[in-house]
Amino acid sequence: MKHQQILLLLVLALAALATSCQQKTIAAKPDPLSRAYDVETDWNDAQRQTPLNSQQAQGKRVFYTYCVWCHADSSPAGPSNRSNLSPTPPLANDGATFNPLSDEFLRNTITLGGSAMGKSAMMPPWGRTLSQDEVLAVIAFMRAIAQPPYQPPARPAPQYSVK
Amino acid sequence: MGKIPKRLRLSFAVSSVLFLGVLAVSPVKDLLQEWKQYQREYVRFAETRPDTKRLLADFHPGINQIWIPEMNVIDRCTTCHQGITQASLLDASVPQPFRAHAAMPHQVEKQGCVVCHRGQGLATEVREAHETTLAWEQPLLPVRYIQASCGVCHRAALPETPQLNLGRELLVKLHCVGCHRLEGITRPAMLGPDLTNLGTKVSRAWIYKWLKEPRTVTDSNGNITVNGVENEEEPRMPQFRLNDQEVRALSAYLSSLRSGPPEPARFDSRVVAALEKKPDTVDQGEVRFRQMFCTTCHSVAVTRAGQTRLIGGQIGPELTKVGSKVNPEWLVAWLRNPQAYMPYSLMPRYGWSDEDLFKVTRYILSKLTDPNLLSDVPKLEMPHPEEIQLGQRLFLEKGCASCHVIKGVSVQADFGPNLSNLGSKTLSQLEFSKAKIPRTLIAYIQAKITDPVSVNPAARMPQYHLEPGHLEALTTALLSMTGGLATLAVTAPQSEFHPAGAFGEVYERYKCYVCHRFNGYGGTSAPDLSFEGSRAQRSWLVAFLKSPQTLRPTLTLRMPQFNMTDTEAATLADYLAMVTQSPTVSLASVASKDLTPEAARLGKQLYEVKYQCQSCHTIGSSGGYVGPNLSNLGNWMNAAWIEGWLRDPQALVPGTIEPRRTLPDQEVTALTAYLMTLRQGGSAKPAPAGAGGAR
Repeated sequence: MKHQQILLLLVLALAALATSCQQKTIAAKPDPLSRAYDVETDWNDAQRQTPLNSQQAQGKRVFYTYCVWCHADSSPAGPSNRSNLSPTPPLANDGATFNPLSDEFLRNTITLGGSAMGKSAMMPPWGRTLSQDEVLAVIAFMRAIAQPPYQPPARPAPQYSVK
Repeated sequence: MGKIPKRLRLSFAVSSVLFLGVLAVSPVKDLLQEWKQYQREYVRFAETRPDTKRLLADFHPGINQIWIPEMNVIDRCTTCHQGITQASLLDASVPQPFRAHAAMPHQVEKQGCVVCHRGQGLATEVREAHETTLAWEQPLLPVRYIQASCGVCHRAALPETPQLNLGRELLVKLHCVGCHRLEGITRPAMLGPDLTNLGTKVSRAWIYKWLKEPRTVTDSNGNITVNGVENEEEPRMPQFRLNDQEVRALSAYLSSLRSGPPEPARFDSRVVAALEKKPDTVDQGEVRFRQMFCTTCHSVAVTRAGQTRLIGGQIGPELTKVGSKVNPEWLVAWLRNPQAYMPYSLMPRYGWSDEDLFKVTRYILSKLTDPNLLSDVPKLEMPHPEEIQLGQRLFLEKGCASCHVIKGVSVQADFGPNLSNLGSKTLSQLEFSKAKIPRTLIAYIQAKITDPVSVNPAARMPQYHLEPGHLEALTTALLSMTGGLATLAVTAPQSEFHPAGAFGEVYERYKCYVCHRFNGYGGTSAPDLSFEGSRAQRSWLVAFLKSPQTLRPTLTLRMPQFNMTDTEAATLADYLAMVTQSPTVSLASVASKDLTPEAARLGKQLYEVKYQCQSCHTIGSSGGYVGPNLSNLGNWMNAAWIEGWLRDPQALVPGTIEPRRTLPDQEVTALTAYLMTLRQGGSAKPAPAGAGGAR
């Protein structure tokens, strides 16, 4: 009797093993970027890819059309225009400069230009060239690539909670 | 009534409990359905949010459904994804499936979900909706490839979908359409070079080497090298899997193709006598080669500071070792008239003087060479007739005639499978063979592109070497080809611009449309000339066409020196000035009496202090180089164009990066007056009265 039970258990265990093996198909490699709409290669580390969501990806497009000339170290035409300007414009990924500034301040600076916000008049107003959605997208892109990384201000806690 | 036996009673009791239990299965199952659990969870979640009232007011218990009959959309995704349109649930801390959708160009209520995300809209179970199951083979599209869904309807390039646009460009650039039918991509007149007369151009040994390794060689470190020069670009011709016998046969056949003897390189004997012995002929040829900006279209490997890089454009083939490739007599004939050898060539027919042509060909044949180029090619005897015959058969069997034209050999269209609905293929329609890859459409497409033999040992498809990112882009473009929703397709307007007459002749001769755009037709690597007549002064146009200089530092390509005759330059300038006018710029709108020296002085202040235009534009030797150099603007542009430009640049050149400002009329006039005073050298046209003030 006891032998039979052991045999039965063994058979059951084998069957379980067999089914588990059968279910094991080749799974897709976990790709950390599979949920990214677009990626941006880190400006200081060519191996690192920053995932971008759709809004940040639109910001990337606007940035590489309008802003890259003065806010990056190189431009599509080669050298950057930064060295021609005084004061030197900050790089778009310069977290130390941009992280303390609020979205609202950046939005106003981009829309109304540097002179309206007490900054250099070399920063032109983009409010009649870019839509507000595009301005917000550029800010979202800058936040995504910021080094040191940008931490959004803490949301005010819910005023009341059930549990 | 007799007494019921105890056993029977017991069995009644047990069976009725069992019966009740069975009856309860269905309601319990219903109660525990996945979507009901999610909905209960959503209510509990909403109660922890500050805006509970609003969230619960918008909550719809039961199955939710978006029904759009004309698009065949029945999506029940919002049954669980209750918060999809709640702005307050956008935060990444909100757990799925309740998070709101990020800002997007379409609305959930108007498009549904499946149109973009794929999956099974009717399903009410998580696995059924998102994954491949027995009854449903179309899983969710990973966000990485989501732009493919944009391309199902939007056949024209959208700025918002860079990956899809790159993929479509690659499909064209890699000449996929040579073998495959692809939705929205038409077959051009010429894909690969016309080989009708190849025997007069290159030797059999060169063809042998080319077929073995069509420019791309992978060295022992896995680096891709071009003729020994590292290059990330995929060459125009991919590598085919040919054995030595096949390469021998094909090279024998192709080198036997001669429709006539090579045209002798006829030079004026006085030119040859004067230049042949001169020691600096080759150097002068190099200078001329640079001056003419051959590198706008052709790239050449340049070694600087120990690093070898390819410099130049990709419109024509790379030329680093072309001197060891082509027959010298062919080269001279080709440079004189490329279309005589290859009717669909994009190469302009330059106006050469015998001196220049002699110097440049000397330079190409003595400097752009590699004595060891063909050293690894085995000794090839005179081709046998059988070898030629085998080569001729292989030319068709391997699909060469899909891209290459040989007079008398019919073009092979649709050599490979039709890919117009690849994006909607189900797994059962794909052949995976024994490939160790996940059984998904995306994995299949990527395996097929990177290693065709892995999924089909008998594949005839050649081997491609792709840059990082290009595989994803190609996958996106192929996934967008579903063959469906044609009724909703938004296509790009197609236009052609081939004017006749004297202008048309010069325009075709110099192939202006390869780089410039005219009314929506032509290349995009140089400025759009649709409104050039409103922008530039005729005298400037003539001078520029005769001797082009760099105007826009942001453009990396330079206009070649075509050596135009005066008549040709005048024909082009006349036509451009007369015909290519913008409807919004009236050349008579600017009164020259307003452009006074006082206005110009004010304009200079506005330029330098208030608007700081010098951050992007250069005048003289100082300023930025984002916008064009303005040093000679007074001789270059029309005052009316400058005024229109200052008011609204995007109205004149859509998409230009010049920021549009709000300038009062007085400032527009003042800036125009100042800019019109900027002149260099002798002005071709007398300055308008009163505009010479603040120099």
